[in-house]
Amino acid sequence: MNLKRESEEYLERLWLMKDENKDSIDVLMDALGENFKTEIVDDLLSENLVNLTQNNKKIFLTEKGVDYARQIIRAHRIAERLIYDILGSEFESGACEFEHIVTTELVDSICILLGHPRECPHGMPIPEGECCKHSAKTAESLVIPLTELKVGQSAPVAYVNCQNDQLLHKIDSLQIRPRAIIKLHQIYPSYVIECEGGTIALDKEIVSNIFVWKKPSDISDRLKEMHRRDQTEIIAKGRFKIGHRWAHQRRRRGF
Amino acid sequence: MEIKRTHCRLGDQTYEVVDTPGLHCLYIHSEEELIVRDMIFSENPDVIIQCIDTNRLKQSLILTADLLELGIPVVMSLNAIDEITRRGMWVDSSGLSRILGIPVVESVAVQNRGTKKLKDAINNVSNGKCSIRYGDIIEKGISAIESKLPEDINYKRKASVLMLLQDPFLADNLKKTYGEENITQLRAEVNRVSLEFRGNLSHVINNMRNRWVDTITEQVIRKQKIKLREFSRVFAHLSRHPIFGIPILMTIIFIMYFLVVDVANVIANWMDGTLWIPFQSRIDNIVSNEFLKEFLIGDYGILSIGLANAIITILPILSVFFLFFNILEDIGYIPNLIVLTKRLFEKFGLSGSAIMPLVLGFGCKTMATLTTKSLSSRKERYIAIYLIAFAIPCAPQMALNMSILGRMGVMAFVIAFSTLVFVEIVAGLTLNRILKEEAKSDFIQELPTIRLPSIKAVLVKTYYRLFWFIKEAVPVFIYAAIIIFAIDKVGILDAIKNVFRPVINGFLGLPIQMVDALILCIVRHEAASGMIIKLIEKGELNYVQSIVSVTITTMFVPCFANIIAMIKQLGAKRALTMTVIINGSSFIIAGVLNWILVDLFKL
Repeated sequence: MNLKRESEEYLERLWLMKDENKDSIDVLMDALGENFKTEIVDDLLSENLVNLTQNNKKIFLTEKGVDYARQIIRAHRIAERLIYDILGSEFESGACEFEHIVTTELVDSICILLGHPRECPHGMPIPEGECCKHSAKTAESLVIPLTELKVGQSAPVAYVNCQNDQLLHKIDSLQIRPRAIIKLHQIYPSYVIECEGGTIALDKEIVSNIFVWKKPSDISDRLKEMHRRDQTEIIAKGRFKIGHRWAHQRRRRGF
Repeated sequence: MEIKRTHCRLGDQTYEVVDTPGLHCLYIHSEEELIVRDMIFSENPDVIIQCIDTNRLKQSLILTADLLELGIPVVMSLNAIDEITRRGMWVDSSGLSRILGIPVVESVAVQNRGTKKLKDAINNVSNGKCSIRYGDIIEKGISAIESKLPEDINYKRKASVLMLLQDPFLADNLKKTYGEENITQLRAEVNRVSLEFRGNLSHVINNMRNRWVDTITEQVIRKQKIKLREFSRVFAHLSRHPIFGIPILMTIIFIMYFLVVDVANVIANWMDGTLWIPFQSRIDNIVSNEFLKEFLIGDYGILSIGLANAIITILPILSVFFLFFNILEDIGYIPNLIVLTKRLFEKFGLSGSAIMPLVLGFGCKTMATLTTKSLSSRKERYIAIYLIAFAIPCAPQMALNMSILGRMGVMAFVIAFSTLVFVEIVAGLTLNRILKEEAKSDFIQELPTIRLPSIKAVLVKTYYRLFWFIKEAVPVFIYAAIIIFAIDKVGILDAIKNVFRPVINGFLGLPIQMVDALILCIVRHEAASGMIIKLIEKGELNYVQSIVSVTITTMFVPCFANIIAMIKQLGAKRALTMTVIINGSSFIIAGVLNWILVDLFKL
């Protein structure tokens, strides 16, 4: 592991500790275990990313450190969203590498493509980027809220934003989840959708938190296919020119 | 909520069969589901038969995963297998059985197909396989929680998973049974695992389960692309459509109206003529004692306003009405009304979730009031309970209202029901203004598949509804007759009538005998309607009076069972205040209606 990557792991840890209102250096040492090295802390100090107080017992991020950590966390969680929902595979190992090699602009582009997701697959909030603040649509989103679909159209679900656990269980038990195909039946007087053979009536609020792939042509399936072939290549080189390669790889699935 | 129990003999074993309401998964969303889960946990069943609508195989497999995790042998019955074939789908049931390690039986319940195989399967059950693992951290956490659970609790693994999912009911239950101390320890352990995991456990646990379901369905479901515009889908679509939906609803109401008026009333009249009148004159001849005669067949006799009122006047109307109502229920039409009426109810401050209870109110107001428990916003619950109790006629009331107004013509029916609708709208808007705003609850509701009704199911259901009416209501009718007879003889009835005379005669423009009907209302609304029918037959109610009496009896005092349900939901003080307000306003509204019809329209 190179120095930059290692110090970024420290910043990630410190961000998580900040969320839990912890600032003891012992907690950091516990969390990092054998990987804990004092020279990294010194390094972070010299770059003015962290501060130590109370006889070096407390450690916390400086303003600059918070900004830096936010970027890493954001990249990490966006990557999880991408790998998990879109490529449909396990996420931790891929994402851990990802956040250290991408630029803020690239993360923003992925964020736009995914229609500004608000949570990672674990349900942790994704920090907002510049693009979310303007809800930028300069690059065309591939993922749109279900509300933008027309009546009669179907689309595969990309992800569902939901902070309420009870409701999430309910949505989940009705099979509204990534890769399920949803058909929009009706908008007025109430939303009616069809999902996996069941017909469901729901509020606009919930509908607008369900995000679907814009083109019903199985984008996620093709991405999955691509992912199987050269998973390492995509992740390592950070090649995200989505769209280009698919045209050559049209493949019909199903019966 | 009904849980039916019966015994059955398969081979040389006797089983107790328990039919529970449906369940989505073992993580609980409602009180009703909780009862079912508690039953599974406490009664420790030998076999669980999971009846699945094959159309919704994926949704059902979520529950299967939960059940298998319990370690109870499961038999899966794939129902409505004929429907999915028509949709171009095919389920490899033997493959499914192999993967899950449990017997899977294909069946078509409405045609009684597959029942024998199901019986065989129950005799040869085995524990299934559920290979869901949640990853190291969670699995370790589960074992740690398992070890902290009380010794005698069943299904430790599932209980631990539910604790991790922060199931609110389970923790409360454990606290009640095992004391605060044990549970605090358990809670601490759960918190430790959640912290260690850093992330939303529900998300991850659900995701794992969903993946398990996906892997299975990918292997066992084959789809063919055939586009069938089935009749049922078109009908479902039209019945929810903002333009076509309303005429369909109107048509259904009018079919109902004509069935009640032209079929049920005729039957009731015929029964009155051929059964009651000869019977009455026989009694008249046999019994010589005047007091006894009056007690049996007088104005307040137990046979006349008790038995005959129930059996001769009301039963035929209810039979016809329920037959039609049950067909609608069996088709799956009624929940579609939620979609149609959602916008209207939003104006009353009710989100979609509150509409289901209101729609249920047209069936039985008591049951509807109880289901408001599932509404998370207090404001919504209050408004829903109020509107249910106020001007919504329950199924029998609706039937009898139709029967009464039908004697006066379609226009009378339209006037009375428009008044009731208007009253509900005003009440809804007013309550929405008065009560403070609260966060809205989220609405998501599965709609049933529209299917052609099964004649057998409709007949059985109608039979049971009528059977319960006879069993429960007829004795009440007779007691009520005895009470009225008694207070009449003592002179209290006349005293009451004298007190209310100015209101009834003057303000409402009704004959004083309507006091009897209003008293009967408190006991059972059907009894009051029977009384009104009697008054019309005697020629004591004219056109306007009939309309006014129907509106007032529909709104006046929610029935006794409904008041009890209201007390349960709101507490005695609020429920009784609500009842008083409703009674007061029903008098005022009926009076105003009388004034409008008589003085403004000169009817």
